[in-house]
Amino acid sequence: MPSVPPTQQAFLALSGISKRYAGVRALEGVDFACERGKIHAVLGENGAGKSTLIKIIAGVVQPDAGTMRLAGNEVSFASPSAANAAGVVCIFQELSLMPDLSVADNISIASPPRRFGLIDARAQRRRAEALLAEIGCEDVNPLMRARDLPLSRRQIVEIAKALGKKPQLLILDEATSALTSADVEKVYAMLARLKSEGVAILYISHRMHEVEALADRASVFRNGRHIETFDKGMRSTADIVQLMIGRDIATQYPPKPARKAGRPMLALENLSWEGRLDRISLRIGAGQIVGLGGLDGQGQKSLLLALFGVLRGVSGRVMVEDREVRAGSPAAAKAVGIALVPEDRKTEGLMLPMSIADNLAIASLGAISTGPFVDSAKEDAAVKRAIARLQIKIGAPTDPVSTLSGGNQQKVVLAKWLMTDPRIILLNDPTRGIDVGTKQELYRLMRELADQGAAILFYSTDYDELIGCCDRVAIMYDGRIVRELEGSELTETNIIASALNIDATADGGVAHA
Amino acid sequence: MNSASLSLSRDDRPILIAALFILVILAAGTVYTFARFGSAPLLSPTYLLQQLQIGAFLGVVAAGMMIVILIGQIDLSVPWTLAAAAMMATSIGGPLAIPVGLAIGLLVGLVNGIGVAYLRVPSMIFTLGVNAVMRGLMVAHTGGYAPQTAATDLMRTLASDRTLGIPHALFVWAAVSVLVVVMLQRTALGRYIYAIGNKEAAAYLAGVDTRRVTVICFVICGGAAALAGVLLAGYSTKAYQGMGDAYLLPAIAAVVIGGTNILGGRGRYLGTLIGVVLIVLLNSVLSIMEMPEAGRQVIYGLVIIFMLLVYGRGERVVS
Repeated sequence: MPSVPPTQQAFLALSGISKRYAGVRALEGVDFACERGKIHAVLGENGAGKSTLIKIIAGVVQPDAGTMRLAGNEVSFASPSAANAAGVVCIFQELSLMPDLSVADNISIASPPRRFGLIDARAQRRRAEALLAEIGCEDVNPLMRARDLPLSRRQIVEIAKALGKKPQLLILDEATSALTSADVEKVYAMLARLKSEGVAILYISHRMHEVEALADRASVFRNGRHIETFDKGMRSTADIVQLMIGRDIATQYPPKPARKAGRPMLALENLSWEGRLDRISLRIGAGQIVGLGGLDGQGQKSLLLALFGVLRGVSGRVMVEDREVRAGSPAAAKAVGIALVPEDRKTEGLMLPMSIADNLAIASLGAISTGPFVDSAKEDAAVKRAIARLQIKIGAPTDPVSTLSGGNQQKVVLAKWLMTDPRIILLNDPTRGIDVGTKQELYRLMRELADQGAAILFYSTDYDELIGCCDRVAIMYDGRIVRELEGSELTETNIIASALNIDATADGGVAHA
Repeated sequence: MNSASLSLSRDDRPILIAALFILVILAAGTVYTFARFGSAPLLSPTYLLQQLQIGAFLGVVAAGMMIVILIGQIDLSVPWTLAAAAMMATSIGGPLAIPVGLAIGLLVGLVNGIGVAYLRVPSMIFTLGVNAVMRGLMVAHTGGYAPQTAATDLMRTLASDRTLGIPHALFVWAAVSVLVVVMLQRTALGRYIYAIGNKEAAAYLAGVDTRRVTVICFVICGGAAALAGVLLAGYSTKAYQGMGDAYLLPAIAAVVIGGTNILGGRGRYLGTLIGVVLIVLLNSVLSIMEMPEAGRQVIYGLVIIFMLLVYGRGERVVS
């Protein structure tokens, strides 16, 4: 099997592509090619240049140097619509749906079907239905507002929208990061079909098992350079990770300490909310990391929000260190020592245009103020400590937090909460769209915080992560906790079986549905 | 820092441009008066102090407006909050005049704040409604009998008299400015204001009591409008209906010309200060040039649009 791509049949070929942003090198002399009928994974840490590569191919930004050939002809796309016209379609990491428009409107937003010059709503709806059916998601109602769909389904709509542009080269930039397991399967099937139809597919994901399952070929990028391209099976996962980060990594997850009987920190009794949470009881001891697993949208996020005082009308009891608390707002939750790293760091976790220091200090201003006045000496010291503790890579604390990479932004969100010395830390999928190196740092940090006595409730869509990080995992299904897995029971098979709410043998053996 | 002088921060650029434009207005006005009358009255301290005194009323209103704009809201009830405060102050009279006037403003601000923060009505609608209600109440107030409209001596002293040649109104404006600057830069409340303006959801999830902060901001804005009303009544020796009508748009314009983002989250108070001076001088120079009212309005509007174009389009939304 040749590991060097035969360039004569390349559908897309880049040569010598370079790009700088305000003096910072994003891509440097990149040669890259991909073929029809192949799924080609692009791997690399955040900041490795993957996104810039994609943006150049999709016409969002123009390269400073180099040439791009599509089916043998030299092209340069001045805009995404020019790229679309040539059959290059990209599904970006950030969702681009208009929240208040319907699914059908969104799917046809660029070129709605017309009748007598006016938009033909019926044709538009049929088109949306057909495209959603192609992905196998007929259950999405095209007349629903995008806002009302769960994140996973919005991502599906995004994919349908891209399909509607009849791609010859389809680029998925972390487009599966928000998908539930069920939807991921559908998208895989769709990608396989497109592949057989001869579409070239570029696939970017931080999830190694997805890449292993899907990709025919992979290219690794690091620091703006193309490091290596190889065919499926030529490199082990460890090799790939090594290529991506360029340094040794000892273990993927920090070791779990021998289980100790910590005092109960958080206890939930019969927590219910509007039919979305159904009599949830759960105990977390000091020093424990408890995972929340299951398919997406089974109430895990609502549970975290309920504990953080965001939801109205929650019934049942929440005990923190044996004292009942009723947090009616995040401010009240913070006062009893609860912290939440929210789902979407860019809209819920950070004030993006504000400085790193402002973002870090916002939750703990009460502690570093004298009367109404912020004590700037205390603030500077606290900000410095937080940056050092999480090893956040920054220029200056006064830089806008938007200038940081995704991984470092997430560190800022976490550091902000650690500055409040929380006893209970709620994490809502904190590693979504974050590079491998930063993920490992976060895992280590979680264990360190637990060792210092915090109770951690950790929701993740990545089963691997739950198994590697958690002392115990509670699997949710339809608003209930259906099973708690611990110790040797904590296997992927058991998690999946419980997530689908099907019986598995107790020893975690065979559970094929 | 050396780099600061080379590359201006995005908050400082509009302020510098506005300051330069003030010089352009003064220069153009002076050239005109020199050619026409052979003198340069615009550059005399007397003229400038008088302009600042007039600017003080707008300045106090704009200070409050800026706080509300910073959290991404707007207060359209300013005109009749101002008028109501002035009218109630004069009709009560005596030593209670000023406290009653200010209390009216704080109360209207409280109502606005509750409506926006707790009832979740968009501020543009809610404050517009409150403005109409206040107007109706004031018409009813003056309709039944003839209340006293003369300003008290203290109000006149505060607004018109001078100490060491400097109008008292300027001291009031300066005091308000110092309070606002300290609040925005040194207090936790100030940080919360910017945080809410940038991303209310993120501030809320960081445990900031966003509703309380919103109410406080509207109360400050109402109080500032009332203070301006009391001063203005003192300056013109009486309160009258519609006295606040000329203050709403100039106040918003001053804030925006000063570089504050109309959608909230960004802006420095120094900019608002300069925006107020710019607007007052522009008005004054246009009237010296005996520009007819229609022309003045056109130029005034064009200047605002032009300034915002010069500041550059809003940055593209980076999600």
